[in-house]
Amino acid sequence: MANLERAPRKSFNDLIYDLIFKNYVWQSIFRTGYPNTPRNQMLAVATNVFLHLHPTRIHRTHVKITHTYCLGGLSFFMFLGLTVTGVLLMFYYVPSIERAYQDIQELEANVRFGQLLRNMHRWMAHAMIILVLLHMMRVFYTGAYKPPREFNWVVGVVLFILTLLLSFTGYLLPWDQLAFWAITVGTTMVGSAPVLGDESKFLLLGGFSVGPNALIRFYTLHVIGLPLVISIFMAVHFWRVRRDGGLARPL
Amino acid sequence: MVSRAAAAIRTRPRREREAEVLVWPDLVFIEFISALIFSIALMVLSAMVNAPLLNRADPDTTPNPSKAPWYFLNLQELLLHMEPAWAGVIVPTIALVLLAAIPYWDRDTEGQGVWFGTKFAGRLTVFGFTAATLITSLLIIWDGSLHVVWTENVIRGLGLNSDFTWPGGLDWFRNLRGFDTGIPWDSLGFTIGGFTMFEDWRAIPLGIPGTTTDPWLLNLNFPSFLSQQIIPVATMVGLPVLFVLFCKGLGWIHSRRDIALLIFSAFIGVYLTTTIVGTAFRGQGQDLKPPWDIVVLEE
Repeated sequence: MANLERAPRKSFNDLIYDLIFKNYVWQSIFRTGYPNTPRNQMLAVATNVFLHLHPTRIHRTHVKITHTYCLGGLSFFMFLGLTVTGVLLMFYYVPSIERAYQDIQELEANVRFGQLLRNMHRWMAHAMIILVLLHMMRVFYTGAYKPPREFNWVVGVVLFILTLLLSFTGYLLPWDQLAFWAITVGTTMVGSAPVLGDESKFLLLGGFSVGPNALIRFYTLHVIGLPLVISIFMAVHFWRVRRDGGLARPL
Repeated sequence: MVSRAAAAIRTRPRREREAEVLVWPDLVFIEFISALIFSIALMVLSAMVNAPLLNRADPDTTPNPSKAPWYFLNLQELLLHMEPAWAGVIVPTIALVLLAAIPYWDRDTEGQGVWFGTKFAGRLTVFGFTAATLITSLLIIWDGSLHVVWTENVIRGLGLNSDFTWPGGLDWFRNLRGFDTGIPWDSLGFTIGGFTMFEDWRAIPLGIPGTTTDPWLLNLNFPSFLSQQIIPVATMVGLPVLFVLFCKGLGWIHSRRDIALLIFSAFIGVYLTTTIVGTAFRGQGQDLKPPWDIVVLEE
């Protein structure tokens, strides 16, 4: 009888658990424990700075993978990954035509995981374009652009253009033959615009052909100008998803 | 504006709590797993495939073929078939504006939130995509004069005529430029009140002098005006119209949503075809070639 009144003895696992999660430092970071009850789980989403973009509850059909394939979220995840790898790449890269190519060579040869870093940045950029395109197709084929979500579709088209521009401006930076001639071909197309073609091309390149001015312009746009603009549009995009009532669903 | 937003809210159903799940853990878990899968997949890809790095940029050495980044190769492909101003700027601008305008044109709230929400959506998508892919491929093959090469090879190969060449009378059918050279435009010209077609065509003042180095908005030089502008634009406008009329005839179209489905799917087909052809099937001098025959020369 006495056994029932005594608290059960702590197992080894419990001891480890308490050691990690029930100490002063951990609890100063995560103010509550693991949210076990529905109420706490909603609070965990609503009060967490990273999670509060989400609503606290969503419709059952929206967690089905085949409804969204996570494409929008993954596009955003690529943007985050590109930001992280991009910042790391900036440590090793100087945007001058004397140094740019050499910096990339040295990054690949001398920096630990430098080649991997550059590969990650490039493949993530390609992946982001493909994911954004697929996300657009998903939204179209599920009819999710219909009222009241018209404007968010427009914001999405702008985000698609900005994604292409981000990738295009980054393409020049290695300053190799591939980069140089791809940008030459691309900006020549801009130059063929009626009325303001030559002016736009001059503005973009800072000259009549791809050179030092073009490199610094593309670099600045790539690492700060366009990321700032796309961040603003993404903020609006995500905000409007919530404001317009979450994901579209049949009436 | 207020009334429209209010109407949209009014039509939204009441929240069914029992049909809802909690974001933590259900959604957060999915997001975490998909992010993890992509991180690992990209890490593995990056460990196996290196990002390309060619020789240092050299303005004096032009690679042949020179290509834009792959996501602009659809536009570079268009460049081969029409006036650069159309291919590089006007067509993509119009395409993006039309894309953004879809929800302002198709405002019906029926069929949202489900994949392919109308009765014939599946057929329209498959038809739009397949037909557009096929027609675009055929147009590219035709403008690349592959039908000329193939016809000559087949007739020679069958031994029907070992010296067979494409008949001069069919020169206008070689490719788009064939319309310029294969038709005797000079003998077809006429004069109205001192205005001689087609020589005086360029005298039509269409442009804003001083805005560009070339005072012409677009090149009005006949007959290239016909082959580089009239025919491509008529094709880009006419084919979608034909698509819609055809599907209407089949009884597949009952709403604007159906038209949007058809045209968007066709757009995706064209977008993919031109991107793939531009990336993998264009060799030196932008000639059509199978991918394994493409070599980049530096000149």
